Amino acid sequence: MMENKRRLSFISELVEPNWRFWSLVVILLLSAGALFLYPVSEYQGYVDPFYSPTVLVLPFIALFRLSCYAYRKDYHRHVFRHPMACLNDERMDSSKRKYTGETGFFALNNFHRYFFYIGLAILPFFYYDFYTSLVYESGFFIFRVGSILLLVNALLLTLWTISCHAFRHLIGGSVDCYSCLSHGSGVKKLFNGQSLLNRYHEQFAFVSLLVVVAVDLYIRALMAGWPVDFTFFKIAI
Amino acid sequence: MSDKVTISIKRSDPSKGEAPHFVDYEVPTQEGMVVLDAVHYIENNIDPTLSVRWNCKAARCGSCSAEVNGLPRLMCKTRVDKMGSKISIEPMRAYPVVKDLVTNVSHNWEIAKRIPPFTPKPGLPKPWKMAAIDITRSKEFRTCIECFLCQDVCHVIREHESNYLGPKHMVKVAALDMHPLDSIDRAGFLHTDGGVGFCNITKCCQNVCPEGIHITDNAIIPEKERVVNEFYDPIGILLHRRKKK
Ligand code: SF4
Ligand code: SF4
Ligand code: FES
Repeated sequence: MMENKRRLSFISELVEPNWRFWSLVVILLLSAGALFLYPVSEYQGYVDPFYSPTVLVLPFIALFRLSCYAYRKDYHRHVFRHPMACLNDERMDSSKRKYTGETGFFALNNFHRYFFYIGLAILPFFYYDFYTSLVYESGFFIFRVGSILLLVNALLLTLWTISCHAFRHLIGGSVDCYSCLSHGSGVKKLFNGQSLLNRYHEQFAFVSLLVVVAVDLYIRALMAGWPVDFTFFKIAI
Repeated sequence: MSDKVTISIKRSDPSKGEAPHFVDYEVPTQEGMVVLDAVHYIENNIDPTLSVRWNCKAARCGSCSAEVNGLPRLMCKTRVDKMGSKISIEPMRAYPVVKDLVTNVSHNWEIAKRIPPFTPKPGLPKPWKMAAIDITRSKEFRTCIECFLCQDVCHVIREHESNYLGPKHMVKVAALDMHPLDSIDRAGFLHTDGGVGFCNITKCCQNVCPEGIHITDNAIIPEKERVVNEFYDPIGILLHRRKKK
């Protein structure tokens, strides 16, 4: 009887409306399936963001996402339920389970900075993809809906990457005495500017992933012959 | 809004062996009433043996911390009309109860003693001078009113055994580390004795801070990055080894 009850409560927790986290899980599973079963790397000048610059960097991007402070918060809360919510834990569910936080396996998250470097290095390729989509027909400059999507994708990935907490530390967060540096006020301004973006880091992390998947789906839809593309203009160059 | 509200208070008196139990009180409401007003009404009109600690009633002193409807809050800053028709009030769970809503938070003074104190750079000319640009970051941390709501809501502090200092003390450490005249780096201390690895940046502390201090984003994560600098980043260690000792 008791066992049964416990299992029921586990299931109800699993389906508790937590749209942000569970929608992510669903999206990731779907896109992973699509990537392996029906790989699409390029169509009519649109490079699929999962393939930019090559699908081989995907594991590193995945590690960049997984060690990102925004996602860490999400999975610590919603997968491991430490804590499930900030409200007091009436059932003492959390204290009955072992907890090591980020001292055990998750101490690996401390390597986030390296994955950040990789993420930063890859950013230009997304802008290059936007450019490619404009000039893919030789002799023409063509501006289509898909190019806008690629640009939005590149911008959101940029916002997510440069609002990273590791970056915040690197560009001035580690400084305690700005006035002691010869270019201190510049460093402080950079730090303040980045801090403004950093406030929205969780949102950028989430939306940028959604858009990557959306662009992937859009390119698939085009391939399937859906009439979802529209050319704004096409000029000979 | 109805003109009455039910206040359900968790009462106990450990010195008399009285176990914790909820008692309901009917309290007439007034425009702009806060939860502390309701508790005072009970104390003055229904049961004078009810114990509660408070001082400024202006969210400045940090004395009236309690768990209102399950979430740590300042009773003087929580409006009754925002909390529903039945409001539960419990003492902070992370601390031993003295009586009713009064808890003993003195454990925090023990934790505070573990933090390496402010250590000025040697040979600073007096009077000490600081540039405005250097104090803006730690200014945020100095608004802490020591209400311990963040310590109370932190699952590491209240549900597990560890050596983690807790968010309020992380705020203190960050204020010291970011002080322009301080000469020591506390990352080593945090990595070992401070137990900062136990914080999993789930941000409940930041959610409840009545002063709106971005505890996780501005104090804990920057300190975690300092720990990374020292213990996990060979490039960083080689390139810009911190000048502090
Ligand atoms: S962010 Fe860290 S310190 Fe704050 S409540 Fe969560 S675990 Fe505790
Ligand atoms: S940091 Fe905020 S919540 Fe924590 S003790 Fe200070 S004022 Fe209270
Ligand atoms: S903290 Fe999220 S990307 Fe670095």
